Amino acid sequence: MAAFYLALWGLAAVLGATAIAALVWSIRRGEFDNLREAALSIFDEDEPPGAITDAFPARHPRSSRRP
Amino acid sequence: MTSASQPLPPAQDERERLTRIQIDRSCRQTVVWYYSSAVFWLLVGSALALLASIKMHSPGFLAGWEWLTFGRVRPAHLAAMIYGWGSMAGVGTLLWLQARLTRNRLPFPTLFPATAIIWNLTVAFGVVAILAGYSTSIEWIEIPPSTAILFGFCIAVIIAASIRMFRSRESRHTYVSQWYLFGAIFWFPLLYVSAQIFLHTPAAAGAVKAAANWWFAHNVLGLWFTPIGLATVYYLIPKVIGRPVHSYHLSLLGFWTLAIFYNWAGTHHLIGGPLPAWLITVGIVGSVMMFIPVVTVAVNHHLTMVGHFHHLRHSPTLRFVVYGAMCYTAVSFQGSLQSLRSVNEISHFTHYTIAHAHLGVYAFFTMVMFGAIYYVAPRLLNAEWHSAGWIRVHFWTTAVGMALYWLGLTWAGWEQGRMMNDPRIPFLDIVRFTVPWLWSRSAAGVLMTIGHISFAWLFWNMLRRRGAWLPGPTLLFWKRSPESLPEGAAE
Repeated sequence: MAAFYLALWGLAAVLGATAIAALVWSIRRGEFDNLREAALSIFDEDEPPGAITDAFPARHPRSSRRP
Repeated sequence: MTSASQPLPPAQDERERLTRIQIDRSCRQTVVWYYSSAVFWLLVGSALALLASIKMHSPGFLAGWEWLTFGRVRPAHLAAMIYGWGSMAGVGTLLWLQARLTRNRLPFPTLFPATAIIWNLTVAFGVVAILAGYSTSIEWIEIPPSTAILFGFCIAVIIAASIRMFRSRESRHTYVSQWYLFGAIFWFPLLYVSAQIFLHTPAAAGAVKAAANWWFAHNVLGLWFTPIGLATVYYLIPKVIGRPVHSYHLSLLGFWTLAIFYNWAGTHHLIGGPLPAWLITVGIVGSVMMFIPVVTVAVNHHLTMVGHFHHLRHSPTLRFVVYGAMCYTAVSFQGSLQSLRSVNEISHFTHYTIAHAHLGVYAFFTMVMFGAIYYVAPRLLNAEWHSAGWIRVHFWTTAVGMALYWLGLTWAGWEQGRMMNDPRIPFLDIVRFTVPWLWSRSAAGVLMTIGHISFAWLFWNMLRRRGAWLPGPTLLFWKRSPESLPEGAAE
């Protein structure tokens, strides 16, 4: 029984270790160097900050159906 | 930080802009397959949920056929919702998000729809097997273990695609959503495989099986649904309101603390059970440590939204996603508190826990997925949602239904727990006390099911492209002609 608990917690520790390994990797890669630019990385020229990209459909959509 | 003071990111050339349109196109087949299947399972799961709920207050309802007894309907509901609706909507969103974040086309355009079909057949087999009486009786993993290889194959394809997209990514930065998605993609298979080994081999028998069971079950929520949900929130709130996340520092702190603490929390389900006290204490410590990621995420999302709450009136995606994000905060606070022994001795084994579980999987995850589908589907199919009215029906029935569900069962469960701790109160009196609240649960279930049917109707019409035609896949109808904004959405 004790061996089983150890196995289970060993596995939990492996999961935690993968997280820490990824953290170390990302720090080494400089992911934490320019956070401002990282936060902006989901925007582009088409949809820059300030562009609102979702709305309810217009009231009479069928009138503007494609030909 | 106002959005006006944000410098624009470096200008991108025409090729990259085109690529973004192509990105959405490359996801069309795969993600539409996954979303359509998810919507189908949502309806199946709702029907099973209603059956189970009605049986709680009217036990004679459809009790003559063993396939529809409570002990089968309830796990079948769970399997349909978790592996059918939740996972398939989650995988669809995850794949689309990764394609967007890495600025890559989604690979395997024929293999992926095949995995969706395999996934569907597996869930269908699982649900029928449970109804036929072949459940494993282990909560959250009732589907017979013979299906593991099929789920495993689908997940292997998802992992391969994720690695491939990430390795050839165009963006220099790994956005926080990508981290969450990696968490989901790499941890879930590890969990699933080890749970299958632990639970279905002689390695675990008796009480230890419960430890393995809850370590797995809690982590399906914590390391599969939660990361996909939060990745979606971190992408969609900034994209919809056009404002970068308030503090990127906090978002990273939130992810890494979740990654380190969440996986220890599962054994809080077994407080008072026949297990070593230290094992459960570890679970409690893990649960309480979750305050750190939860507070950082909550503060961050709130500060991102401040000054932009009026967009909730105009954006269906934002409504669902913000509702979900708020419920994530609520459910996590509640979860951390519930893991304390003093609270748990009242709330455990009562309806309170059911309310809590639905606050997590439904009010948080499902609502975020609704929001994601409202955002993604028009961009995949180049068509607008055909009716704003049905979207409103969907939002209000599910939002009010969920609130009713939670309030009724939380109150009933707490009182039930207090009464059960008092040996002078006869057990039947306690059962009678809960009955009106079980009716309120069924009423809430009816409301939510109405919402699901309106959503399915909207989605069906989206597949048939009955809404307005969108010339550019990522430009919505009103954005091209701001004068036609509905209800004064213009800034």
